[in-house]
Parts: sequence; C-alpha cells; structure tokens
Amino acid sequence: MSVLARPWSRLTPAGKVVLPLLGLLVFLTLALLVGFATGLIPGLIRFVGDLLGANIGIVRFVVAASAILLMSVPTAFVIIYMELKVIALMNLRLGPNRVGPWGSLHSIVHGLKVLGKEDFTPTGVDVPVFTLAPAVTFLAPVLGLLVLPFAPGLLGIDMNLALLYFFAVSGLSVLGLMMAGWSSFNKYSLLGGLRAAAQIISYEIPLTLAVVGVIMLAGTMSLNQIVMNQSGSILDWYMFKQPLGFVIFFIAATAEGNRTPFDLTEADSELVAGFATEYSGMRFGFFFFAEYVGVFILSALTTVLFLGGWNAPFDIDPVLNALGIRFDLALDLARLDVGLLFLLALGPVVGTLLIALPIWMLRSDWSFLKSLVIGFILLNVLLAAAVGVWLALSFEAVVGLGWFLVKTYFFVFLFVWMRATLPRVRIDQLMGFAWKWMLPASLVNLFVTALAIIVVSEVR
Amino acid sequence: MTPLWYVIGIAFAGLTFVFITIAASWLLTHRHKGDRHKGLPYESGIDTYGDTWGRFGLSFYIYALLFVAFDIEVIFIYLWALVFRDVLLGGLVSMALFVAILLVGLGYAWRKGVLTWK
Repeated sequence: MSVLARPWSRLTPAGKVVLPLLGLLVFLTLALLVGFATGLIPGLIRFVGDLLGANIGIVRFVVAASAILLMSVPTAFVIIYMELKVIALMNLRLGPNRVGPWGSLHSIVHGLKVLGKEDFTPTGVDVPVFTLAPAVTFLAPVLGLLVLPFAPGLLGIDMNLALLYFFAVSGLSVLGLMMAGWSSFNKYSLLGGLRAAAQIISYEIPLTLAVVGVIMLAGTMSLNQIVMNQSGSILDWYMFKQPLGFVIFFIAATAEGNRTPFDLTEADSELVAGFATEYSGMRFGFFFFAEYVGVFILSALTTVLFLGGWNAPFDIDPVLNALGIRFDLALDLARLDVGLLFLLALGPVVGTLLIALPIWMLRSDWSFLKSLVIGFILLNVLLAAAVGVWLALSFEAVVGLGWFLVKTYFFVFLFVWMRATLPRVRIDQLMGFAWKWMLPASLVNLFVTALAIIVVSEVR
Repeated sequence: MTPLWYVIGIAFAGLTFVFITIAASWLLTHRHKGDRHKGLPYESGIDTYGDTWGRFGLSFYIYALLFVAFDIEVIFIYLWALVFRDVLLGGLVSMALFVAILLVGLGYAWRKGVLTWK
C-alpha cells in the first residue's frame, strides 16, 4: 500500500512529516505557475525590491543578525571537534576517527544526536526559570558577537561603548547559570550555580580592570577603533605595551569561560555536572553551545584587544614587490561571452575526469566509480582553494578575516591545551587568587600605565 | 537603526533561535513519562533529602557585596580612562585617592578573613 493511501493514524512519524510537505510542495508549485501567468509575482518582486531599498538599515540588521546566529553553530562544532581531537592526541589516544575524514564530522553528528534526545523536565523544577535558563546563557555570547570586529568593515555595529557593552552582556551568563542552578531543585545544581556566580563575578573585576590600560592607550572604547590603533608593525600590538594586563586578562578570561583549571562550576568529580545536572536533550546542548561560543568570543576579544585583531603581523607587500611578484587578477568573466556557458557546463566534468583518470590508472584496486568520486571531491577542494586565493588577493577584508581567525584559534587551542594539561584548582585557592593576587595586580597595572602615559607626554 | 535596536533585535533573534531549536527537538523526539523515579533530581542515586531551596553558605553573599563595590568602581575607572589624556596628573591623583578608599575596604575585609574561603 502506498504512503498516500494509508490512513493517517497508521503512518510512521516520517510519513507524517513527509506527507504535509509533499502537499505543500504541490501547492507552492501551482501557486508559482499561476502567479507568473497572471504577472503577479514579477510585480511583487519589484515591490519588494523597492521596499528593501527604502529600508536599507533594517536589511543590514537582518543580514548581521542571521550571520551572527549562523556562524555560532559551526564555530561551536569546530571547537568541540578541536577539544576532542587535540586532547586525544595529547593523551596519545586516537580521538574521534569514525565519522568523516579523521572524524571531522563527529561533532555534527553529536549535535544531531543531542537534537534527537528526549526533552525531559523533572518534576520538582521551577518550570519557567528552568526553560529560560539555557536561552539566557546562550544569549550572552551571541550578544557579545555583535560588536566584535572580524575584519575591516565586517562587524555587527561599530558601537562607541563596545567594550563596556561586551562586559555588560557577558555578565548575563552569570544570570543564566544561577537560574539553571536554582531552578533545578537539585543540591549539586544549586552548588554549581552558586559557585558559578561567585567565580564569575570575582574574576569579572580583574578582567574588566586589566583592559583599562588598553582604553587609556587607545583613548576609546570602540573595538573597531582599538584595532585600528594597533595597525602598523607587530610592535604596535598592545600585547607588548601591556604585558601584565595581557596575562591578567587571559587568566581571568579562562575563569570567565568556566574552563579548566577554573571549571569548578561543573567539576564532575565533585558536583556530577554542576548547574547542568538536571538538564537533558537540546536544553543541555545549549549550555554547551554557550560554553564553546563563549570560548570563541573570549579568544576573539583577547585577539582584538592585545593582538591587533585583523592586522597582519608583518607587511607582505614590500616583500612581494622586492621579489618582483605582482598580482593582477581583475577577472572579467563577461569577456568569455558564450564560452562562459561551456565553461560552466563542461568545466566540472572535464576537471573531474582529468583528476580521476590518473588516480584510476595508478590505483588498480579502486573501482572507476570510486576514482570518480575522489576526483570530484579533489576538484572541489582545488576550486575552493583557488576561489579563496582569488578572494584574498582581491579583497582586503578576507586577508583580515584570515589573520583574525588564525589568532583567535590560536587562543582557542591554548584553552584546549590548558584543559589537557592543568589539574583543577580548589575553590578556596580560586577565590583567594582572584581577590588577593589578580585584583591588586590589575590595579598596579592600571597605575603604572597611567604614570607611563604621563611621563611620555611630559617628555614630548 | 540605532545600536539599541540592534541589541534588542539580536536578543529577540537569539531567543527565537533557541526556542525554535528546542521546539524542533520536542517535536522530533519520543517522550515517555516514566515512573516516579524518573522525575526525581539526580543526586548520585539516593532519593533527595531535606530542603534544597533552603540555606547556603554566607561566603557567596559577602563576595557578591564586594563585587558590587568594585564593579561600580570599574565603571568610574572606565570613564576616567577614556578622558585620561586630558586630565593627566590631576586625574591620576584623584583616581589614586578614590581607589585607596576602596582598597581600605578591601584591606578590612582581608583582615577580617572573609577573603579566605571557609
């Protein structure tokens, strides 16, 4: 019996999803045909175009918001994979190696698995707070992404109080963790949430005080402007003018992100899973999402404040000029005329064959189909690389984005490395370190910077 | 659009993203009520005992108080740092006085032993 003839109650869940979708598809196709026949749709397109042109601010916002939300997902996946694989290699294990090449698709499958887990609410919990807590925790890093300058011209908004805003919204994560801990009706969760609050607010003070030196040097709180002030050579980066501030900031950022050695909020040997003990399924997933996006934004902020953001550590143009290498890649595809069609149609086929044939000839144990598939994948990788090189040479922003990501992922790697290496500290050591060492050190940094600025301006 | 609308809009979009994902997960997955023990809080296998929403350590409260004092200080320092190149020595002296007053408070707390976790 076909799917369509079967009564609704006897359908499998997949059938219940597919059948309405099929109906929708048929309906939409018919509607499109009718719309084009009556000239309704072309008129609508023109109207929407005019509307978008008139509201360019809103369009810009929608693009920025979608980009930020969409980039948070692959970022978290990449960092999860890094964490699994890098720690495994450091422990002389293999790590994920089943899904995809070197297990690289592991975290995507992981995410899908979490999506498919039962969404369970325990009986004792405070339901509204319990449901809202993951959302608030996830919101904190996403709001922080809004002001981070990724590349020249590539940022959500250029706010003049960006730094203050950043610390304000990252304070939201305390609220989320407290809500999770308190509403769970579980003593481990409660302790985890309270520890999270105590730890994060204690390290918030050195974290915010350590960047005062940067604000004084830059004379602005706009992250975009701070990055621009660091342009020039590698010596202009604030890492070298604020070494103490940099170290304090990095240690405090580790504690802010609840990362080892300061991950007491979810110390699994003491508190099961801390504030997240009672969570399961996607709501648990969002806490981890938030943690990994948080690692990314803290690394990105360290890069922006101390490592010059998108600025390259050295200027490559003079070197290229000295070597006599010149790039002129102003492609004008329109010159190809009809040839463009042939290129689009035949390019992939010929390219795949050209790569697949040598593989097929050299590896006699592989079937032709396998060689074709491998050839096609290789062709795509090569094309992507070529497009990447072309973009990098044509647009300054792509190079900037590349440097920014290299520096940021260096810090992400550092966080992962610390997790593989350092043991967890005790809670009394943690709190004592924040108030007795970090706070005085950051104040010393502040006053030394102030004195240095005064001395320099007097000498001039 | 002013930055404020951006922030509100992103917050709204983020919340929508979270709840749509949770709703999708809720629709996709099986749900089973289970027996009484499924809904109990997980406390390493034994049934929960005593009051959870009761008392907890006083140290958390004292750290919160200290945090409020120093966080307000940080806000003032940020504004001072922004205009520091205009005020220079006078600004440094007045900020040193301001911080010194707060440091007396920190020293008092240190002396009383509240910075040592108990």
